[in-house]
Amino acid sequence: MKRVVRGLAAGILTAGLVASAATAAMAQTVVGVSWSNFQEERWKTDEAAMKAELERLGATYISADAQSSNEKQIADIEGLIARGATALIVLAQDASAIVPGIAKATAEGIPVVGYDRLIEVPDVFYLTFDNKEVGRIQAREVFKAQPKGNYVFIKGSSADPNADFLHSGQLEVLDAAIKAGDIKVVGEQYTDGWLPENAQKNMEQILTANDNKVDAVVASNDGTAGGVVAALTAQGMEGLPVSGQDGDHAALNRVAKGLQTVSVWKDARELGKAAAAIAVQLSTGTMADKVEGATKWSGGPKGVTMDAIFLNPIPITSGNLNLVIDAGWVGKDVVCQGVDAAKAPAACK
Amino acid sequence: MRKAIAFLGLGLMLGSCAAVPSEPFDRQGLSVPLPKFADETAGSGLIQTYSGERRYVVGGGLAHLDCNADGMTDLYLAGGAAPAKLYRNTGTAGGPLAFVAQDDAALALDAVTGAYALDIDGDGLQDLAVLRFGENVLFRGLGDCRFERANEAWGFDGGAAWTTAFAAIWEEGADWPTLAIGNYIDLDQPGAPWGTCFDNQLHRPATGGGFAAPLALAPGHCALSILFTDWNGDGRADLRVSNDRQYYRGGEEQLWHVPPGAPPRAYTREEGWAQLQVWGMGIASHDVTGDGLPDYFLTSMADNKLRTLDPDAAGPAYSDIAFGRGVTAHRPYQGDQSKPSTAWHAEFQDVNNDGLADLFVAKGNVDAMADFAMEDPNNLLLGLPDGSFVEAGGLSGLDSGARGRGAAVADLNADGLLDVVVVNRNQPVQVWRNLGIDRSGDSGSWLRVKPRQPGGNRDAVGAWIELRTPEGLQRREVFVGGGHASGGMDWQHFGLGGAQEAELRVRWPGGTWGPWLAMSAGTSVEVSRDDSGGDRVAVSE
Repeated sequence: MKRVVRGLAAGILTAGLVASAATAAMAQTVVGVSWSNFQEERWKTDEAAMKAELERLGATYISADAQSSNEKQIADIEGLIARGATALIVLAQDASAIVPGIAKATAEGIPVVGYDRLIEVPDVFYLTFDNKEVGRIQAREVFKAQPKGNYVFIKGSSADPNADFLHSGQLEVLDAAIKAGDIKVVGEQYTDGWLPENAQKNMEQILTANDNKVDAVVASNDGTAGGVVAALTAQGMEGLPVSGQDGDHAALNRVAKGLQTVSVWKDARELGKAAAAIAVQLSTGTMADKVEGATKWSGGPKGVTMDAIFLNPIPITSGNLNLVIDAGWVGKDVVCQGVDAAKAPAACK
Repeated sequence: MRKAIAFLGLGLMLGSCAAVPSEPFDRQGLSVPLPKFADETAGSGLIQTYSGERRYVVGGGLAHLDCNADGMTDLYLAGGAAPAKLYRNTGTAGGPLAFVAQDDAALALDAVTGAYALDIDGDGLQDLAVLRFGENVLFRGLGDCRFERANEAWGFDGGAAWTTAFAAIWEEGADWPTLAIGNYIDLDQPGAPWGTCFDNQLHRPATGGGFAAPLALAPGHCALSILFTDWNGDGRADLRVSNDRQYYRGGEEQLWHVPPGAPPRAYTREEGWAQLQVWGMGIASHDVTGDGLPDYFLTSMADNKLRTLDPDAAGPAYSDIAFGRGVTAHRPYQGDQSKPSTAWHAEFQDVNNDGLADLFVAKGNVDAMADFAMEDPNNLLLGLPDGSFVEAGGLSGLDSGARGRGAAVADLNADGLLDVVVVNRNQPVQVWRNLGIDRSGDSGSWLRVKPRQPGGNRDAVGAWIELRTPEGLQRREVFVGGGHASGGMDWQHFGLGGAQEAELRVRWPGGTWGPWLAMSAGTSVEVSRDDSGGDRVAVSE
């Protein structure tokens, strides 16, 4: 009950200090959202989902945009507290650098949801997609389509730790088949800057080096998958199993056309909605470990034990393209553009 | 022996007749004098591109020095996979920027990442420390912009690392400098590039001249800038190292004790040194807060840092003041602002001669990092009277779409106005001439100073200079190092604002403050150390 008591005390304290926010803070839940860089298009989807859920729960939404500056983000968090926030959702610009701001909030008993990016502090509730699972799903779907043969890994940027993270998930799934000799890795390349043109260039070189004897490609996102498919198409090899990630519109169209096997999709609206619900629960007295679906997790670099929820990413394949269309993520016309009616997946019929 | 010459006609004339642009100029509410820069790359004769594969993704530096004693600043430009080049300055005082490539096979090394100028052997001629992917090379200046390789003659072990940073200091009583070499990733280690940073090295003088075998500064954390600096004003420099968190594992920014005659030792948590992790690319140093001690601007990705010593700290405990002072410079100020910036060389200089230090920052994407801005213009942050800064990169004309790396803010045509040269990755070097101030009434006066002393450390590296006018006090440390793979031995430039006279004094290395000396605006002055008779002043041509 420790957190609950501190949370209530802080709410009253804040209300007393900030006259203009007093009524709001005492009367209801105010969720302050600190965005790392709201000019990035994708967060607008998350925000809409958060706002809708908060409205449904009778809570107020306030926000600040750190504009990519962690120093501004610290000031933003202080500002949100001063404006009467009873819970915070923080999308960290730089998780280690903003710890002083987080410490200020937790010291005042204001619960913090670390949104999408890990803020490895004991009192922070961590909400994200299961990123390790993304790599596993990519490998699993390609493996289903092609359990044997010559495999190529088109990895992400060598400068991005996530690239290795994804690759380790892929290997987890394929390791046994590689060791058994069913799968032979004939090419493995990082993709500078995750750029499709670099992925294409690398794939072309791998095809040349292997006399085109390639049976499947595990690509780490939809951009690199696009480069891979272009290289395959140039050799008349389109239709090989290829993985991706992000639910890019072009990639979903490739899935519909049978040029890409899977795009792993993380529905930002689910993330936004879950964050709003968790923030409201924490703000109104639910203990962190009693939040529905919460688990204890200590898989971060520092091994800090935190309460966390990991949402499942969804493999989008030709069999379930209707999910992204029904969710309003993308229009049917976009997904199904140019798809041969005779071979069209169910979602395009 | 004090010989203060009060007036030099040429200098004053140049100071007051700076070209004033005639076209209307939108100042956008700027309250301080706005300098206008013209891109003179095309006519300058400078043709150099820092290029090559991944090993040249960092570096891209230059050294500036007067290698033929003609009073004009010459440039040595890194080329990466292509040969480095020495450019002699053939311009005239107050004229357009003009350079001619010097045909010098010895200097035209490949694999050069950066360079610094300093007088290593104390013969009065500037030498070059050339940083490379592979063996570093020291070049002895012979005069007339000729140089000879000196690794063997000076016993300098150039190593075989990926070198990206350099700094030098003369330790107490030494006639030869101590050189610090900062290295980046060891690509040959298993697991590279992650967590495989080279150690750094400290080259101390050998008995009788030259250098002893280097000492390791271990662990290294992938240094991209290092600087000897007297951070606490005790008269002795320590070594600050800025490291790239992209590649180290468990690393941080570093500060090393460099006690005379004893091995270097990193400052500890117990001493107050807190963990700071940035994508450290460059260090700029200046007393921004006016507490008499240097503050450090650290370039990085997204936020840049301005670190100031905590007022009551017993040890090196620093706080960030970049946000409050307006120098986070974390995203492009024009164009697409949706992604953060990537900063490299930085330098405090007074480019508008108003007596307040300004901050130039070279910017540019690492290569094709999609999460960071591709169009990332250089910053010119003009100092304001309240101690904060305001962006004038675009207004002044220093914005560029190229991938900036190393740079220098130096008076390339000896007119009392600081010009800017930037080395870009995979794009040509750019040079801008400072045309002066957009409103004629705002044009400030200036003073250029070279401190001189007997012994090996002739250019008084490690000295502090104070300059006072009725408008305020300015302080600067004479250092070799910092920036991004770029550094010069050049005039110390002071803007004087509206003052026509100033007083200046020097705290010489290992000594105390000399007397206040009277100076006139618009002059270039050598101040020579004389501990018994009082420092002497000579106005040069």
